[in-house]
Amino acid sequence: MTRVLVPLTVLEGESVSPGLVRLLEPVDVTVLGYHVLPEQTPPDQARLQYGERATDALADLATAFEDDGREADYRLAFTHDRDQTIDRVAAETESRAYVITGAAGSVDRLFVALTGDVAVDRILEFVVELVGDREIGVTLFLATDAEADGRLALEEAVETLSRRGIDAASTLVVSEGPLDAVSGAPFDALREAAAEHDAIVVGEHAPSLQSFLLGEKPERIAAESVGPVLVVRPPARDASSASLSDSS
Amino acid sequence: MDRDAPAVGEGTNIDDEAPRIEPTIETEAATKTDDAELERTLGLVGGLAIGIGTMIGAGIFVFPGLAAGRAGPAAAGSFAIGAVIALFVALPASELATAMPKSGGGYYFISRGLGTFAGTVVGLSLWLGLVFATAFYLVGFGYYAVDTLAELGIAVGNGLVIPLALLFGAGFTVLNVTGTENAAKLQNGIVALLLSILVCFLGFGGLDALGLVGEPAAPERFAPFGAFPVLTTSALVFTSYLGFAQIATVAGEMRDPGRNLPLSMVGSVLIVGTLYVVTIFVATSAFGSERLAELGETAMVEVGRHYLGSIGALAIVFGGLLATISSANASILSTSRAVYAVSRDALLPRRASRINLRYGTPHVALGLAGGPILVLVATGQVELLAEVASFLHLVMYGLICVALVSLRRDEPEWYDPAFRTPGYPVVPAVGAVASFGLIGFMQPASQITGVAVMAVTAGWYFYYARDVTLRGAL
Repeated sequence: MTRVLVPLTVLEGESVSPGLVRLLEPVDVTVLGYHVLPEQTPPDQARLQYGERATDALADLATAFEDDGREADYRLAFTHDRDQTIDRVAAETESRAYVITGAAGSVDRLFVALTGDVAVDRILEFVVELVGDREIGVTLFLATDAEADGRLALEEAVETLSRRGIDAASTLVVSEGPLDAVSGAPFDALREAAAEHDAIVVGEHAPSLQSFLLGEKPERIAAESVGPVLVVRPPARDASSASLSDSS
Repeated sequence: MDRDAPAVGEGTNIDDEAPRIEPTIETEAATKTDDAELERTLGLVGGLAIGIGTMIGAGIFVFPGLAAGRAGPAAAGSFAIGAVIALFVALPASELATAMPKSGGGYYFISRGLGTFAGTVVGLSLWLGLVFATAFYLVGFGYYAVDTLAELGIAVGNGLVIPLALLFGAGFTVLNVTGTENAAKLQNGIVALLLSILVCFLGFGGLDALGLVGEPAAPERFAPFGAFPVLTTSALVFTSYLGFAQIATVAGEMRDPGRNLPLSMVGSVLIVGTLYVVTIFVATSAFGSERLAELGETAMVEVGRHYLGSIGALAIVFGGLLATISSANASILSTSRAVYAVSRDALLPRRASRINLRYGTPHVALGLAGGPILVLVATGQVELLAEVASFLHLVMYGLICVALVSLRRDEPEWYDPAFRTPGYPVVPAVGAVASFGLIGFMQPASQITGVAVMAVTAGWYFYYARDVTLRGAL
């Protein structure tokens, strides 16, 4: 079954909204409680002082996902680097996506941006799993500088979803060049359209100069919209990198 | 659970606290305990930056004048001897660090390899050694701050060296308590900038000194005062090599420790050792060693002016400020980690490792570093501070080598280092003899201060923590 990672800054009181819990009903969930420390503080030192409190809070949060006999496990991590921890735990748990939490009531319509470095098929596969047989509509969004190809890709995507009984609409924005798609008018269009939806699905971006300067795109979208953002991860690079991380 | 609390690692201190020792699983990216994961976030570059950033301030920007005054051009040999000794210790330390990649560094290896008494003395001496070293870097910083003002046309005289050092010492402590964001990234940037300044400067100076460009320098006898001062100078400048052991204090946070720990420890010693030797060569070629000695702590500024005019002087003043800041800051950080390591093992009251709720920083440990540092800065005794710092570190280095031999002779089941010291047992034996031997070449005042500090730490053990057992308790 598809697994989704829910990272929470557990010691700062971040929690999950009931809408997000309901949205994630069809998938397995791992709650990752994490706490980011300044570089002066060894993670172990923080664990000794906060570990117990964090574990208690985390166990409570995980039970929110445990209805209908569904299992939700949780992990606790102390780190200097949030992204590295989310990345590692997502890889270890083989999570298909991770969540940037946000307030959500009931989700009627998902906004799905077919941008980023994750193949369109992989994003659609995840959306199909997530929606399941529920009455949740999907708006597909694509910004591209190749109009004809973009239109074709969107049509195919709408058809893929429709075949699975999902009500899908699409929006195409034509940009001037590849850079324009992530910062200029198309990105503004994306943010505006996204803000009108209850929840957002995007593909993860490989780190770039732009994300270094402006911040990660999913985080920027999350900052603009109140709803949760689900970030679909690319498939594991290769078998060797996976085995490297769990040899002890 | 089949791994209950081991039979070792028991006993309580006078406050009835026991060492906190739990089974953990080490992976390359995280340490996993029963209830939490501790991310390893430091890479090879971060490790090298800590090592080089800690070391470079003293060796290049403070010592050339003092060393040349003592040993003449042969001061380059003094630095080379120091580098060789540091290498002979860095190799055994690397092996132990890969076998025990935990916070605490040398203290951790010795308490687990040789027992609680040696561990307590080394752990507390490491803290105090770092306090002495930081005070020394801060005084060095004070000299550069005064020279910077002078370059800017504000002559204030050397009377302001200590006040400035005190001001910035207090400033760094507060900064660390309130949590400087991205301190490590800043450190990486400073080290990269420093290395590029130095490579340009030393490249040009080296060509000039070899007579390829500019005027040939006046020849001077290589060792005008004989061989003995070369060794005493080694003992003085050894403070320039203390940084590699600071890498071991963050071993618990280093990614892929089996690879990155040995590479960053040995690599940083090789890099700074080379830079030091070239620097002394360039400096003694620019001026006679008598002139360098007169110029004192900031002799390098005049060397810069000699080769590249006022631009050279400005570059060196700026570099010296950055380097002494980076050394002082890196050692304050290591100090708080040293305090944490011993208090986790119940050798100091547990409240010493409390974390500040507001900033998430270890404010008590930082305060325990900052206070004594300021007292020592106020003394202004550059050479004494440097030698006592070296003394306390050298005792630890010698014992690291002894701990390696002791562990290897009767390898416990848990001992499984990813890196094994080449040339065992010669390398650790030479490392131990050289470390203890170098202490013999220090000034009597430094030796007495060092012995007194260690006696106090031993007294603390018998008063506070004599019932704690740590040997083999991982």
